[in-house]
Amino acid sequence: MNADIKWLDNPEVFRVNQLEAHSDHTYYENYQELEAGTTGLLQSLNGIWWFCYSKNSMERPADFYKTGYDLKAFDDIMVPMHIELAGYDKIHYINTMYPWEGHMYRRPAYSLPNAGDGKGMFSEADYNPVGSYIKEFDLDESLCGKRVTICFEGVEQAMYVWLNGSFIGYAEDSFTVSEFDLTPYIKEKGNVLAVEVHKRSTAAFLEDQDFFRFFGIFRNVTLKAKPEAHVEDLWLKPVLNENNVSGSLSADIKVSAVKGTRVLASIKLFDRNKELLLLCPIALNATEPAGEYQTYKGHLPEQLLKRVSVWDNNNPNLYEVYVELNDGCGNLLEVVPYKVGFRRLEIINKVMMLNGKRLVITGVNRHEWSARSGRCITEAEMRSDMECIKKNNINAVRTCHYPNQIPWYYMCDEEGIYLMSETNLESHGSFQKLGAIEPSWNVPGSLPQWREAVLDRARSNFEAFKNHTSVLFWSLGNESYAGDDIEAMNVYFKNKKDGRLVHYEGSYYNRAYEDTISDVESRMYATPADVEDYLQNSAKKPYMLCEFMHDMGNSMGGLGSYMKLIDKYEMYQGGFIWDFIDQALWDYDEITERSVLRYGGDFDDRPADYEFSANGILFADRREKPAMQEVRYYYGLYK
Amino acid sequence: MACTNKKSLLRVVYGDYTLGIHGQDVHYIFSYATGGLESLVKGGMEWLYRTPKPTFWRALTDNDRGSKFHISSGRWLAADMFIQCKEISVCVDGKELGYPCAPVNNVYSDNEYADEVSITFTYETIVPPINTVEVTYTVQEAGELLVSVHYHGVNGLPQLPVFGLRLIMPTKADKYRYAGLSGETYPDRMAGGVKGIWEEDSIAPTPYIVPQDCGMHMDTRWVEIYRHRSLDNSRKMRDTQMLKVSAADNDFAFSCLPYTASELENATHQEELPPERRTVLCIYGAVRGVGGIDSWGSDVESEYQIDATKDIQFSFRIS
Repeated sequence: MNADIKWLDNPEVFRVNQLEAHSDHTYYENYQELEAGTTGLLQSLNGIWWFCYSKNSMERPADFYKTGYDLKAFDDIMVPMHIELAGYDKIHYINTMYPWEGHMYRRPAYSLPNAGDGKGMFSEADYNPVGSYIKEFDLDESLCGKRVTICFEGVEQAMYVWLNGSFIGYAEDSFTVSEFDLTPYIKEKGNVLAVEVHKRSTAAFLEDQDFFRFFGIFRNVTLKAKPEAHVEDLWLKPVLNENNVSGSLSADIKVSAVKGTRVLASIKLFDRNKELLLLCPIALNATEPAGEYQTYKGHLPEQLLKRVSVWDNNNPNLYEVYVELNDGCGNLLEVVPYKVGFRRLEIINKVMMLNGKRLVITGVNRHEWSARSGRCITEAEMRSDMECIKKNNINAVRTCHYPNQIPWYYMCDEEGIYLMSETNLESHGSFQKLGAIEPSWNVPGSLPQWREAVLDRARSNFEAFKNHTSVLFWSLGNESYAGDDIEAMNVYFKNKKDGRLVHYEGSYYNRAYEDTISDVESRMYATPADVEDYLQNSAKKPYMLCEFMHDMGNSMGGLGSYMKLIDKYEMYQGGFIWDFIDQALWDYDEITERSVLRYGGDFDDRPADYEFSANGILFADRREKPAMQEVRYYYGLYK
Repeated sequence: MACTNKKSLLRVVYGDYTLGIHGQDVHYIFSYATGGLESLVKGGMEWLYRTPKPTFWRALTDNDRGSKFHISSGRWLAADMFIQCKEISVCVDGKELGYPCAPVNNVYSDNEYADEVSITFTYETIVPPINTVEVTYTVQEAGELLVSVHYHGVNGLPQLPVFGLRLIMPTKADKYRYAGLSGETYPDRMAGGVKGIWEEDSIAPTPYIVPQDCGMHMDTRWVEIYRHRSLDNSRKMRDTQMLKVSAADNDFAFSCLPYTASELENATHQEELPPERRTVLCIYGAVRGVGGIDSWGSDVESEYQIDATKDIQFSFRIS
């Protein structure tokens, strides 16, 4: 198959040759490596890459992926990094408007009778920058001879991949993993990986989040080798029984193995004291006729556990699971560790209950942000955020408005933080204009041509993070109005019957979907009186504020008025403060000769939404704003 | 003449432009020309840069901007920037002297003493509906200064951003200590403030990305400002001096920053603020909340708004 530049214009093409989304588990060839936390199965491709910036597709070096292409016109760039922060394209902050407002007239394909099919909208645009990346690499010895995939953890916003001149695949969805099989094309030495990243595609209509608009490879790129037999997907289903004492564990696994390899699977469960609670074989059933690889499915039926310690914010008790694959002769082929907790989320009498107790959310919305490097953040920054969250009695985080880097979910499991895992979807500019609700060309709406793209985003969110105990809510996205396509996302999550709740705020704007797109009544920026009004008038669902207390500048006044409602109404279950950290960027000021923080509009970016980029309870340099003591006080009352 | 009791500790200088009062280790000059307290020397250091005036404005917060508070209440910016002193009256040991300017003051000598002197300045705002503020300074026997401020509400006035008295010191303070609530607090954001004695070793504004009102401290019993720099070329000792403001009855609110509201208002970034060269100490009798419902329309909750049609009175001591 050959790459087609027209895919940028077509909402029905959003993944080509990508491997199926799967759980985010790590894996090791043996316990020595597992305990050391290092593995020879991974090879990072982060670092300096060859790079060429073009203003649009027409000007890009279209043949750059071909073997022997002369790279003399290429610069270099760091991976991961936003292309704008490397100085190639203008930094731009904009809130609800689409970023081409005032520059281009665009209507999403099929959204209006005269909207057409979008042909050329992005592929032939005068301004739609392209980053052409080349990475030359030799395969680490420990990966040689094995099946190898390449895993892009975040590339904004559309990407074509080639290896050694052969087309590998295409991906959209900037914030979920895109993984491709390189096995047929990879060599031990002298590989040439080519990645062409386009700033905008039809995905731009679905990624209209209120943030700085970047493009490029902004998260890790990793080669992953698979042992002879490999757990492709793992779904652990811990259950806490109603007595909050006993529980059970069941699991589903998918395994692939090199043809002819004998493979047996088993699962072990330990408590925190390394006491073995379960040791069970998992029968594997071949699923497809053996090609080069044989795939298997395995199911662990429910195993009763007489006594488990529950997982919650105060006591995030985790249990250790090990899934082992062996060859039947006592040789371990692969071991997959995972930590799970036992907790039970349910709605009883219209009140959300966690482990039998009323759930009170003292939450915050968190964008991934660094004033130094934008959304390309380090694990140290994540740890610092977590420390701050714990210290200030915050018990919940909404991953606004896209899946976060994988380590964050593990940290939340460990620290007992309740996650609202939000799907990468926001089409704000397609239904709200100058503050008014005007969905005449809303996407995804009920448009069949846009449905699969958003369903795929839901699937990528679910499949990656389904094993994280911290995830209590799946969120369908943010501010995208309501229609059949978002309803289909809800159906997707509900069909998983995983004991989590589905969240979406958009039914407020379109009550026709009230019963079919969210388990909770969710609002943003409702006044305390608005909240009471809902709760006093035949309220249908538990109520939460997915965004409240807009902490822009000197704000956070009146938090007490919301906190009082928690005591007054069982069904008011708290909310998520907007938001965690100011989005501003360090820059050098020539006038004062100082490093200074810049916000929207400071880069001659127009139209802009200026200081609306900065609404954090932290300043952009991660220092706490003075309002934090108020958050810590009120949130601490509900700990 | 009047008030020549030698046991009195305050020596009064009935000048042509000013009323001077010497106490123990303190000297006040009230100016008829500038309409207020022009000089406060304590510990050999000048504590005033310009005559204190009533303050009505706060640099807009993002929430103020969002709710268009400046459109409805913008008149207070003019009131804050420009105000007129319409009337001055002096009272010595309970005797009303009116306005003892020349040549009325020819009756006095260089040997005038009193137990208590008070002087009231009446200010008038410049945009209709015009309203007045009286600031009364009472120098008491020990040389301590009692400041009483009375804002007269008038029907038709829009909500006030703040109301207080602004004292500007000639140099930047080193630090301040206060008895009150921890951190920056506002009427609608003070539940998390912890009562205690707190020390701030910097008067820098809170680095909100767009400079705006900041540094408020509610429910304060007293605040001490420490300075070692002065503009006095002859002051060789650079020792640290302290000025203390204490509640006279009710606790007060204050902010201690290097900038006035209008200086903060003019900057769109921290780096645009001028160098920190002075100390702006505002003592407030009324503070508007900061709000938080949203930043695009919702006003501060009604109990945290300041009704400008009603009187506001507060007082404090300076020692």
